[in-house]
Amino acid sequence: MTWWTSKVNDPAAISGNSSFEETVQQSIVLTNMESMVAWGRKNSVWPFNFGLSCCYVEMATSLTSKYDIARFGSEVIRGTPREADMMIVAGTVFIKMAPVIRQLYEQMMAPRWVISMGSCANSGGMYDIYSVVQGVDKFMPVDVYVTGCPPRPDAFMEGLLLMRDQIGQERRPLNWVVGPQGIIKPPEISLKETKREERMRMTSLRSPDEI
Amino acid sequence: MPDIVSILKDKFPQGILSVQLTKDEFPTLWAEAGSIISILSFLKKEADQPYSMLYDLTAIDEQAKNNRGEHPESIYTIVYQLLSFERNSFIRIKVPLTAQTVIPSITAVWPSANWYEREVYDLFGIKFTGHPDLRRILMPKTWIGHPLQKCHPARATEMAPFQLPEAKQVAEQAAMQFKPEEWGLEKTIADDELMFLNLGPQHPGTHGILRLVVQLDGEDIVNVVPDIGFHHRGAEKMGERQSWHSYIPYTDRVEYLGGVMNNFPYVMAVEKLGGIIVPERAQMIRIMMSELFRISSHLVWYGTFAGDLGMLSPVFFMFNDREKVFDIVEAICGARMHPSWFRIGGVTQDLPNGWKNLIQDFIDYFPKRLDEYDGMVMKNSIFKARTVGIGIYTTAEAIEWGITGPGLRATGFEWDFRKKQPYSGYENFEFDVPTGKNGDCYDRAGVRVEEMRQSLRIIQQCVNNMPDGPYKSDHPLTTPPVKKNTLEDIETLIHHFLNVSWGPVIPPGEAFCSVEATKGNNGYYLISDGNITSYRTRIRTPSFPAMQLVPLIAQGYTLPDLMAILGSVDYVLSDVDR
Repeated sequence: MTWWTSKVNDPAAISGNSSFEETVQQSIVLTNMESMVAWGRKNSVWPFNFGLSCCYVEMATSLTSKYDIARFGSEVIRGTPREADMMIVAGTVFIKMAPVIRQLYEQMMAPRWVISMGSCANSGGMYDIYSVVQGVDKFMPVDVYVTGCPPRPDAFMEGLLLMRDQIGQERRPLNWVVGPQGIIKPPEISLKETKREERMRMTSLRSPDEI
Repeated sequence: MPDIVSILKDKFPQGILSVQLTKDEFPTLWAEAGSIISILSFLKKEADQPYSMLYDLTAIDEQAKNNRGEHPESIYTIVYQLLSFERNSFIRIKVPLTAQTVIPSITAVWPSANWYEREVYDLFGIKFTGHPDLRRILMPKTWIGHPLQKCHPARATEMAPFQLPEAKQVAEQAAMQFKPEEWGLEKTIADDELMFLNLGPQHPGTHGILRLVVQLDGEDIVNVVPDIGFHHRGAEKMGERQSWHSYIPYTDRVEYLGGVMNNFPYVMAVEKLGGIIVPERAQMIRIMMSELFRISSHLVWYGTFAGDLGMLSPVFFMFNDREKVFDIVEAICGARMHPSWFRIGGVTQDLPNGWKNLIQDFIDYFPKRLDEYDGMVMKNSIFKARTVGIGIYTTAEAIEWGITGPGLRATGFEWDFRKKQPYSGYENFEFDVPTGKNGDCYDRAGVRVEEMRQSLRIIQQCVNNMPDGPYKSDHPLTTPPVKKNTLEDIETLIHHFLNVSWGPVIPPGEAFCSVEATKGNNGYYLISDGNITSYRTRIRTPSFPAMQLVPLIAQGYTLPDLMAILGSVDYVLSDVDR
């Protein structure tokens, strides 16, 4: 669906001939139920107010004015997992905390998604140490991995946008009785691969001696 | 006046075993376990200019050490570090433990020893006789072994892969179940049945993964029991495996809002061990970056504290200003939160061209914002009603419980390590030490707000007086040594190669260094065994004692006050649990 905004007194907004075809084009959307629901889901991914360590500060920063994830419908942070759609595992996954994290995940209602934010949550990162689980995917599913230690808010937002796209393409049963059950997910993509060419083109880097 | 070492030797001829010389030149004495309580109570209560603060209590596993020196035989050594404000100096008492791993508890002398002794028990397996509540504090209750023993594996990948089957999930949850009797809490007072409220480990008001069990009589708090350790990242064990140089990034993450401020005490301690003199320019760059991080850390606190008390907008303003600080940090260090930018012997690289204008713009911009925030937060009547007269503690209580930093100064005691024990050239700066009067939540907030202004003054002086010269020492242990010299002589090339590939070899010895960090006094106690890694890295953080004090200052207030108290203490969970 394409859409646009216009100013009240903008003559372009009232151009046209007010014909029946035009009115229909402007006011009726034809879609199927699945796409409509997917579009709604995609644009209102409410995050769970949950953080573990350093990454949480950068995640919280993405809510503030300079980054502002409200632009993508994700500013509604929820204090309880029961009202949230997305859990951002922002920080180190401690062994002492793992049973708690799993319980919180299980308390979220489907459809639910998980972003693993930062090296610790992805793989343990620099903390290959007795008290840290080597990646949150050892005990629960993850949809998107965001790299960095901690990732910049921009990197987190890229992960969020990636997940929104995936959610938009996802097909879930509309009903637990009617039609085929099970979730059809779009193919997983690796940004490492898709961005390779762009990365290889970067041959001259800014000197650290200049601001 | 005779020095404290000879006084102690005269007073306890049997108790004092020997005297040790350390690189930090603190009086360091070995004492016998049987007389430790009398020695410590003498130092606290009877000695002239007493050592009134139990600054740190930790242990060392000596079993893998090669350079033992002339010191008494020991398998584990318990280390007590005390601070005297009158003398403005530290003292260190070490107790060797041989066959038996039992020592009398000193909780009767300092109640604040409670958590420290629990930590030593948890991580080393040493038992303290007479301790009121000796159970694990950092590791889960179900953990087997004591992680800081040399025989315990360090890496997760050396241990069995982590799995969480349903049965384990249930068992772990059951082990975390709160049972008042196990925690020494009464279920009733007189005829009233008390309510227990579990807060955390996941709760928006706890600023991280902290669990508090609150014992309530109606809305009034009878007691609070913190359950910590959810954020234990094994930072001390990590120091025994990373090279001296490659440990620097881990220090950033100990107090994750303080950035390079955390590198500061660590590199200073290594430099003390290695005998490295840091050039003036590097010293001033370090101060400038640390003060920028003090501002950014205080801004996070300012916004979230106001948020805790129901004000939604301040956090947006303050995080925007924090972005401005990060723009500078990023331009100079190349990263935002954890630049790991200090190096042994200096800093990573020289300041980039144009740094002055960048910082000057911020200095010109920020004071007006602070004034605006005063109007928005500090003068707000609701904010005042929620903080004035709430969570009070006195100077004496602060000292008794090991509180440093803004939390100590808010009680009216003007004690700032930047003034009292200047390091890295702080003695050359003009700045005031803001203090409070009542030691309540409002005063703690006021001290931090004023500290941001003072930090700006310091940064302005750095901009005006930045000396020329090298940004790194030319000492061979500097890591990595200055690159251009490597192309001129073979000696530097060899050092460069070794320091980069193996890491520097720091001569045997031990040293403690601390800085006035954002949350209080942050110190690193490093022991070198003449190797490429540290033998023991002890991190003394300000948030650990602050968290231990929370129950005492919360008693008698109501539940909403607890949120104000937690916010005003300004801890970071990674700083509590390390």
